[in-house]
Amino acid sequence: MSDIVGLAKVADENLNFYVSKALDLANFNIRRKVESVSIKVNLCYYWDSFTGYTTDPKLVASIIDVLREKYRLHNADMRIVEADATAMRAFHAFKMLNYEELAEEKGVTLFNLSNDKVAVRKVCVNNRELSLKIPQSLLETDLFINMPKMKIMSATVITCALKNLFGCIATRRKIVYHKMLDEAIVGVNKILKPHLTVVDGIIGLGRFPVKMNLIVAGTNPFSVDCVVSKIMGYNPSQIGHLKLGHREGLGDPREIRVVGEDLEKLREMFPRVRGLRLKMGNRVQIQLFKLYSRIVGDVTPPFLET
Amino acid sequence: MLNVGVIGLGQMGRLHLYDCFHLDGVKVVAAADRSKRFLSKAGALGVKNLYSDYHAMLNDPRNLDAVVISLPNFLHYDAVRLALESGLDVFVEKPLARTVEECRGILHSVEKSGRKLMVGHCMRFLDAIEKMKNLVDEGHIGSLEAVTAEQILNGPFSHGAVPTPVPEWWFDPEKTGGGVLLDLGCHMIDLFRFFAGEADVVFSHLAHKMNLAMEDGAIVILRSKNSDTKAIINVGWYQKSIFPSYNFRFIVHGNAGFISTDQFTPRNIYSHAIKEGAKNLLRKIAGRKIKPLTYTYYYEQYFKELALFFDCVKRDLEPPVTAVDGLRTVEIVHKAYELADSAVKLGSPAHRRG
Repeated sequence: MSDIVGLAKVADENLNFYVSKALDLANFNIRRKVESVSIKVNLCYYWDSFTGYTTDPKLVASIIDVLREKYRLHNADMRIVEADATAMRAFHAFKMLNYEELAEEKGVTLFNLSNDKVAVRKVCVNNRELSLKIPQSLLETDLFINMPKMKIMSATVITCALKNLFGCIATRRKIVYHKMLDEAIVGVNKILKPHLTVVDGIIGLGRFPVKMNLIVAGTNPFSVDCVVSKIMGYNPSQIGHLKLGHREGLGDPREIRVVGEDLEKLREMFPRVRGLRLKMGNRVQIQLFKLYSRIVGDVTPPFLET
Repeated sequence: MLNVGVIGLGQMGRLHLYDCFHLDGVKVVAAADRSKRFLSKAGALGVKNLYSDYHAMLNDPRNLDAVVISLPNFLHYDAVRLALESGLDVFVEKPLARTVEECRGILHSVEKSGRKLMVGHCMRFLDAIEKMKNLVDEGHIGSLEAVTAEQILNGPFSHGAVPTPVPEWWFDPEKTGGGVLLDLGCHMIDLFRFFAGEADVVFSHLAHKMNLAMEDGAIVILRSKNSDTKAIINVGWYQKSIFPSYNFRFIVHGNAGFISTDQFTPRNIYSHAIKEGAKNLLRKIAGRKIKPLTYTYYYEQYFKELALFFDCVKRDLEPPVTAVDGLRTVEIVHKAYELADSAVKLGSPAHRRG
């Protein structure tokens, strides 16, 4: 059976309507009792949603409203969750990116996954056994919602639903996984299975931030990423973690049905960066700096030290 | 040969450390930092005496002539005074200290000790600024009427090639002494003083877009006490900027014309880097001294300021940026804070909540 991925364009300020529409398009339903909801946002750094880097709190507010009103989850314990990253502390990000205000307004809690009990899970990816520290509460929550951004990233070309779950790993210095990033992303996604993914494509990030006014929804994060990848102008079969994810059974790019907006029109809007340039740009610059410094003996600014 | 100690090995401290190795007549004999990793970097460069606490270095200053201090703002007062009292000449990163009182205390120590102190108001030594200053002094724009100075970056909320967390002290206004106006604004204020002399604050507006306990944006209007020249200072921490982008602009407007730093900034920073890098390579091949950091178009200023400081120490001259300069700048920053406190702070969390 095909995974359905819904594309809804936000045409006015009634965000709740478009979130609800995207969820309908994705054929999302809740058929069990839900007492706890965890919403994993993407707060990779302290730059707000207008930069295209972090999930827009207004969209999160809409999800909360829609869950309460449409799916009658008035009494569920709702938490917005994020974990510390190598350079980011969730405590500061919640405050700086207006999540504290949102939590107060909506009566939900903010939770740093790095402070959670940790379940060490072993998972085999690409014939390699990975041991990953997973926040216990994410394994126990009744409804797990993944709210990534749609953006480019030099290490993985695109970063969206699957990569956002990599951000759940309780280890602060996630940079240690960057040498086997595709495996780690797929590994986490073999363990954590969100019930719903809602992509914040209000502002997408390519060569520059662009107002896409888009919400992408689906129940399989792999399928969502394949569709987002196409919108961003990249073939999913050429994105490392999607290729590996397919091989490891996270989903099948051929078994996806896209409903709602015209994907081709959306693709035209996105400011694509050539994959090679994206992957090599910074790395080449830094290597050239190092080579030059080594030969000439010039100073390398500490900012560029690796 | 000057024996130098480097205190604080964060990004600025390490840059100063590396620069010292390119300076004639300067030998780094000691370094202090809490980080073992950075101390071992200094050790690997041949620095013999490594300290995890700068007090230990300054309490035994026998082998030292001068120190370069690049500590968090809240430690400037303590470290600078101790260094001066130990008989050392001091180069200290900007701002001189957190408060006017601390700056006055440091100035008192400078006067009492008779040692030299230079504050790292490095932007005076930016190639573009040096050229602009000469042109203004030569009368190229007529009388200087107004200045526009803006620097909008990430401030402390940036990370290098390897991401590292923002040091926690940056989130504590007690430890920083202020926000972006003290951090970046002090550069713009110092530049205005450099061009137009002593200044007073006419208007001040502080912004709090990032919900920090200190301002992350500021627009301040200054007026020169001597010449009635005005300045609009516009600084911010709120902009995501990634190396090598550098959002700094300084424009001098006269009654006969204007000059902007944009006119002296390389249009293509990559071709500039290649050109300057190639020149250094040729110097190296010819067995001549290289010109450090010229391949970047703004890091060179840090090398120049340090070179000038050590030159002043060696030749017993007054440094180009003194403790008085550091004090005056911090006075203006705090005057701007006072003025903003008495006005409505548009955009502040309190204002937004009504």
